[in-house]
Amino acid sequence: MRKVLVTLFLSLLVISSFAAYLGEDATGKKGGTLTVGTLSGPRTLNDTVSKETSSSDVITMFMGYGGTLVEMDENGKFFPAIAEKWDGPRLTKDGGMEIIWYLRKGVKWSDGQPFDADDVVFTLNDIYTNPDIPSSFKDILESTNGYLPKATKINDYTVRVYYAEPFRLAFRYVGGMYIFPKHIAEPWVKNKKFAEFWTVDSINKKEIVGLGPFIPVEYVPDQYVRFTANPNYWKKDKEGKQLPYLNEYIYKIISSQDAMKLAFENGEIDIYSPRGTEFSYFKENEKKFNINVLSYGPAFGTEFITFNWNNKDEAKREWFRNVHFRKAVAYAMDKKKIIDTLYNGLAIEQWSPVSMASPYYNEKVVVKYPYDLNKARAELKLGGFKWDKNGKLLDSEGRPVKFIIETNAGNKTREGIGNILTAALKQLGMDITFVPGDFNTMINRMLNVGDWDAIIIGLTGSDEPQGGNNVWAIDGSLHFWNLSPEVADWVDPKTYKVPEFEKQIDKIFKENVRILDDNVVKDYWAQNQKITSENIPLIYTVNTLRLYAWRNTLKNVKIGLLQGTLWNADWLYKE
Amino acid sequence: MGLVKYIARRLIILIPELWIITIIVFTLIQLSPGTFLDQYRLDPSISRETLQAMEKQLGLDKPAVVQYFYWLGKLVRFDFGYSFYYRRPVIDLIGERLLGTFVLSLYSFVISWIVGVVLGIVSALKKYTATDKILTVIAFSGLALPGFFLALVLLYMAARTGWFPIGGLYSPETAKMDVWSAFKDIFWRLQLPAFTLTFGSFAGLMRYQRGSLLDVMNEDYVEFARAKGMPERVVIYRHALRNAINPLITIFGASLADLLSGAVITETIFSWPGLGRLTYQALLQKDYYVVMASTVISTVLLVIGNLIGDILLAAVDPRIRYE
Repeated sequence: MRKVLVTLFLSLLVISSFAAYLGEDATGKKGGTLTVGTLSGPRTLNDTVSKETSSSDVITMFMGYGGTLVEMDENGKFFPAIAEKWDGPRLTKDGGMEIIWYLRKGVKWSDGQPFDADDVVFTLNDIYTNPDIPSSFKDILESTNGYLPKATKINDYTVRVYYAEPFRLAFRYVGGMYIFPKHIAEPWVKNKKFAEFWTVDSINKKEIVGLGPFIPVEYVPDQYVRFTANPNYWKKDKEGKQLPYLNEYIYKIISSQDAMKLAFENGEIDIYSPRGTEFSYFKENEKKFNINVLSYGPAFGTEFITFNWNNKDEAKREWFRNVHFRKAVAYAMDKKKIIDTLYNGLAIEQWSPVSMASPYYNEKVVVKYPYDLNKARAELKLGGFKWDKNGKLLDSEGRPVKFIIETNAGNKTREGIGNILTAALKQLGMDITFVPGDFNTMINRMLNVGDWDAIIIGLTGSDEPQGGNNVWAIDGSLHFWNLSPEVADWVDPKTYKVPEFEKQIDKIFKENVRILDDNVVKDYWAQNQKITSENIPLIYTVNTLRLYAWRNTLKNVKIGLLQGTLWNADWLYKE
Repeated sequence: MGLVKYIARRLIILIPELWIITIIVFTLIQLSPGTFLDQYRLDPSISRETLQAMEKQLGLDKPAVVQYFYWLGKLVRFDFGYSFYYRRPVIDLIGERLLGTFVLSLYSFVISWIVGVVLGIVSALKKYTATDKILTVIAFSGLALPGFFLALVLLYMAARTGWFPIGGLYSPETAKMDVWSAFKDIFWRLQLPAFTLTFGSFAGLMRYQRGSLLDVMNEDYVEFARAKGMPERVVIYRHALRNAINPLITIFGASLADLLSGAVITETIFSWPGLGRLTYQALLQKDYYVVMASTVISTVLLVIGNLIGDILLAAVDPRIRYE
């Protein structure tokens, strides 16, 4: 049903919107200040250095929105931005792939310098694919066999981006790339000091130049970042008024969550992301505080339990590699209870490795394991396990099933999941110790030492399943459950085994990106979801809902499948 | 002349002291699990190659001993190194937060000393009366009430009454005000965090002052002064108090170090731009040159604070000589 609605919605969207760019048919009033709260301030304004949202939220304001080649709307559809149109992605005669981008003419940087093809070519060739500048974006740009794109200037407003092999994601990633001003960034690249380019103090030195809607002009450490509207932003609304509507955007650093909540109630900030425990409070007081409160679709982050298939203990290796054992654990995972007791009902059961918000999500093929201890017992029997007269679970060789589940202490939901799961597994006769511990120690042991049995942990995700490549590829560095001996030297190559299904998943991750036809790609991901849910190397728990609250005076807010309150900040306005 | 020599000797001792402390802190950071890059290891979008390149870029691939001496070599030239996270000199990060920290701690420092000492004297002179008992109850609640709880209650009160803003030192509006209004605004914003800090620290001082004055009041020379027929005021302020103040001066010297160490919890709850938050975050993220710098500053201040305490003690107490 959900899927049908989504499809229906997407097709409606395609029919109804012929906008040449996002914000073209916007209406609104000029002026006003939007204040948004954040728990910590930016660490850097340099996208190649930035690793956390508190920095990237600032960077996107002056480099994102209309500043990238293409822009995504709230439901995942791409629109032209600084590229007016494009040809491709298409195959080339030499077996490679190309996209031709036609840039908008007459666009200026916020400092008044003209923008042209040189900036795009410089950004791709000299920054994001420069071997001396490590960045996570460089990893993202790499195609299956490790090729990086190459940009060539055709004329002042036309750029050709070439890959030596087909790479489906090139359009999305090159299209969403932040473009650096060549006239400012070039000396830093040449002097090999690019990591020190655009540190936070460059805001007060007025060195920040961008194509995005808001330029940061004032930074008070641990207090706020103030942005003013980019006077040269190229977008215009329906009536020809220049965007953004807002004069100022303030990113206020409020270091405690409680203070943030009070600041929202008191009107000091305009947007707030309520915690699950606060949602009903805000929903009940919508009128009193003059706010809108909304929950929408699942968030991308995942929480799951994973087992160490390369455990030093031979018995544990056998259990964890036994698919019936994993299915038994999956049947013992009481997701409904987790949702009710830990998430106040504001979460959805997760069964598939692909996010429900992704266009590649395919509910039909996914195998589900609803909570049922009898089915769990049946799976254990199938797996060769038996029970002694005291009800203790023994494996086929009579060894008692006993292991440790860990998670990072302080994460209340993970601790809760651990308690709920442990209680259920004990009912199955397993001897489980649940130990919350220090996060850094746990990660280190998980990846570099290997002395663990089972861990409850989470990962960030996105609507694009290929983003999980590092987790699912056989030689991926986050392939926790079965790390390759080439990645982790603690794994004994003699006992290391790769089951057939893992090879299939690996192949899907390697091949799907080489295919440019989206329908074929969908088949690949359907296959992936089927295999993964049948073999469940990761046993998922639940996806939280995304919770939003914003002041009624803020207009044009459109929450969608993929985006929240700020994706159209360039045409939000205040009343 | 003797005093100058004494100060010089103390300052020279500071150098090996500081050196040993940096070794201890550096070793502790190295021994604690994880490195700065661990927070990126769980990010599916970052490859091993990128992590290795970052490790090299930040100098984390070298042995710990090499890293330490590299840092020490810079420190001798008063360079505190670079923050991994901000890619900026540590000294700039600290400099930006110095004023906020200093304003808050100095203000609450002065108030808690004045209030603590005065109430301590009152409490001692009126011992076992209703006033003393009320003051004692206040003092113990100050000692017992956790700072974070008081801070949250104050914040909640601020939100409900609207009398105070929800934390922060500057707001974008402050920047647009004239000097006098800005001063008033900042002074206003200072009250709640300062109250939180003061309430937690004046109580201890008050109890110290009360205890030490009561001790002295039972001494023979106080009895003697009274017997001579001196007015009670002179007995207390000229004889008893001058002797009772010594232990407080020692505490005063030691607590000077707190002026720049910041108060993490109060700063976090009130969104105050202070060194406590910076250091705490750095500690969590293993941004260890920031941690080292803040340790060095605290150590220097502690030693200097003790030195000032000792000098004051000599000035107050004629029995003490540094020769």
